[in-house]
Amino acid sequence: MQMNRAGITEKLKEILVSASDDTETAEKCGEETKLQTELGLSSVDMLYMVIAIEETFDIRFDDVTVTSFETFGDVVTYIENKLK
Amino acid sequence: MKNDKAKKSKLFDIKYLFFDFVRLTAAPGLLWFRPKKIYENEAAKKKIKGKAILIANHVGVVDPLYLMLVIWYRRHRFICKSELMESGAGKFWLSLFRCIPIDKDNASFSTVRRIVDALKDGELVSMFPEGQVHTQSDKPSAFKSGMILMSVQSGAPIIPVYVKPRKHFYNRITAVIGEPFSVTDMYGERPKFSEIDEAAKLLHEKEMKLMELSNKR
Repeated sequence: MQMNRAGITEKLKEILVSASDDTETAEKCGEETKLQTELGLSSVDMLYMVIAIEETFDIRFDDVTVTSFETFGDVVTYIENKLK
Repeated sequence: MKNDKAKKSKLFDIKYLFFDFVRLTAAPGLLWFRPKKIYENEAAKKKIKGKAILIANHVGVVDPLYLMLVIWYRRHRFICKSELMESGAGKFWLSLFRCIPIDKDNASFSTVRRIVDALKDGELVSMFPEGQVHTQSDKPSAFKSGMILMSVQSGAPIIPVYVKPRKHFYNRITAVIGEPFSVTDMYGERPKFSEIDEAAKLLHEKEMKLMELSNKR
């Protein structure tokens, strides 16, 4: 799957918006937005997000733990590298 | 119980050699320690077939043995905290029992995948969602929601069990078995973050009801 960073960012926002009840999630998501403290994701939410990303982008996360990603941008970078 | 693709486990399986050996040698003890079982309702009486997640309150280190006595007809894959399997005797014995270690503070996705794979393979995964031994009271503390994620991913029902703490070691144990709970039936295949937490709270409430049932008998 070929996708640029902007495309990945939009898809990731969609994933988070559909899983969240917070209508402002999309606006909150920026490169430096902290997943746990600013978006309020718990460790289980993070794992759930990884599952959704795997299905959406058809990639497999290897050796990823809940503390592997601190910011929204970290996740985008990881997906970007996986899609290369 | 909705569990269409229930896989039949083999009578002999080399992976479970040690587990089966322990079950066979401990069988005479079953006569004395056989648990008194109480069922929440008729649906709870059905034998557990195929993939399922068994959850229970955690009041002591022997709780896994109690669960093995309560659901004696199935082989269990227990989830345990990773510290127990880091080295030494713990690693040796728990590996023989095919326990799956999980880092409670920094769970890896490969561990979740391993548990989900075991479930999809038709295994019974047993865990203690309180996350630690809770001895302050008979009431179970709040449940962690990891089990909900595993249930959603595998489609396995969650079966709550309440094991009543014994007063003396020679007493028989009393266990209350609840009706299977299907997360996907209630919230669909893609629940929201808040629904995952809600499902964990619902199961905790259910566990409290099972505790009340155990006190009435």
